[in-house]
Amino acid sequence: MTEHVIEHSADSLQTVQHITQTAEHAANAAEHAGGGGADFIMHHILAQPVLKLPTVFGIDLTITNHILMMWIVSALLILAFGLSFRRKNLVPKGLANALEAAVAYLRDDIIIPNMGKDGMKYAPYLLTAFFFVLLCNLLGLVPGAATATGNIGVTATLALLTLVVEQIAGIKKHGVWGNMKHLIPGGLPVFLIPIMIPVELVSMMAKHIALAIRLFANMIAGHITILAIMSLIFIFKSWLIAPAPLLIIIFCALLEILIAFIQAYVFTILSAVFIGASISDEH
Amino acid sequence: MELMTPHGGTIFWTTVTFVALLLIMWKVAWKPIIQALNERETKIRESLSAADKAKQDVEQALANQQDLIAESKKEAQQIIEKSRNSAELLKDEILQKANAEAENMLVNAKKEIELSRDKAMEDIRNLAVDLSMAATQKLIGKALDKSEHHALIQNSMKKMEDLN
Repeated sequence: MTEHVIEHSADSLQTVQHITQTAEHAANAAEHAGGGGADFIMHHILAQPVLKLPTVFGIDLTITNHILMMWIVSALLILAFGLSFRRKNLVPKGLANALEAAVAYLRDDIIIPNMGKDGMKYAPYLLTAFFFVLLCNLLGLVPGAATATGNIGVTATLALLTLVVEQIAGIKKHGVWGNMKHLIPGGLPVFLIPIMIPVELVSMMAKHIALAIRLFANMIAGHITILAIMSLIFIFKSWLIAPAPLLIIIFCALLEILIAFIQAYVFTILSAVFIGASISDEH
Repeated sequence: MELMTPHGGTIFWTTVTFVALLLIMWKVAWKPIIQALNERETKIRESLSAADKAKQDVEQALANQQDLIAESKKEAQQIIEKSRNSAELLKDEILQKANAEAENMLVNAKKEIELSRDKAMEDIRNLAVDLSMAATQKLIGKALDKSEHHALIQNSMKKMEDLN
């Protein structure tokens, strides 16, 4: 499991590097061709300040378009769920029915299988994470909007929150010492303990770093691809070439919708697995 | 802003936004939804078991009813049988009684007939005696002793009867 995760995170890192290189190449090419310039792609991917705020205790509180998107997503979620479940109804209708079906699916296919009945205590975190990530991913596809989950800061924070919830869950279940024992695999010779503790610590961190990078890379990859392909039109400076990139872009956009769902699902199920492991009885 | 470097402000705002969203959604959505789901599941389970129980009850009632019908059929059969038997018995009795009565009446009638015949016979005899006495008296002009006379006639009458 751990090895798999580390491998996966290495993969993701490679993907990111690859994508970044591609983007730079494309941008450079565009610049050479006298197109929009190298900033064209980066401008669309990086956070842009919307409202400049002062730096407090070394934290720059500037509101960026990604933060604005998170607020829009939060507002939409609260609005949708708040309006749907304002009145208690034994037989739900319309949107409430769909949302409830999604919640029931997450409960029955992600939370309970991976965490057991005890896991329902952490359902609110996982449900919030799923809908937040999903809506951030989907709204990021709207032209003119920004993808908050395509910001490493956002995904890192989400992964960090999963780590925090995981540790709190472990401490609640096994106590502080019992939770630390997760770092020592059972049946380990005593002299190996000093080596294994750092290894396990790194593996634990790697899991969460991978969680952050996976989501970030997946969200950003599609955008970079679409933008890079779009630059082709400007590189060739010809209307004749336009239909080909356009078809590829449409295909990529459709793929991105699929990926938006898959990544929200993956983030949630991995969080459930991590939290579930920390509250499981085996060491 | 760098692509691969988490930005402090982003981390801060994401944490604030996500935790706030988590708390609000907990209250507004997750708690009522999970509660509603559980309630509905409990209700469905209860309804199903109630339906099962009702079905069993109905089946039980049906079986009871069928038993009852069979029993009453048997009872009716028995009653009919019984009444038929008693009717038969009654018929026999009445017939017997009637027969006996008829017989009785016949015997009585015979007796009566015999009695009246005897009486008539006696009357005839007496009348004959009287008549013969009166005739004799006229003939001999002298009254015979009545008892003597009587015996005489009686004798002759017997002789006549014997002759017959």
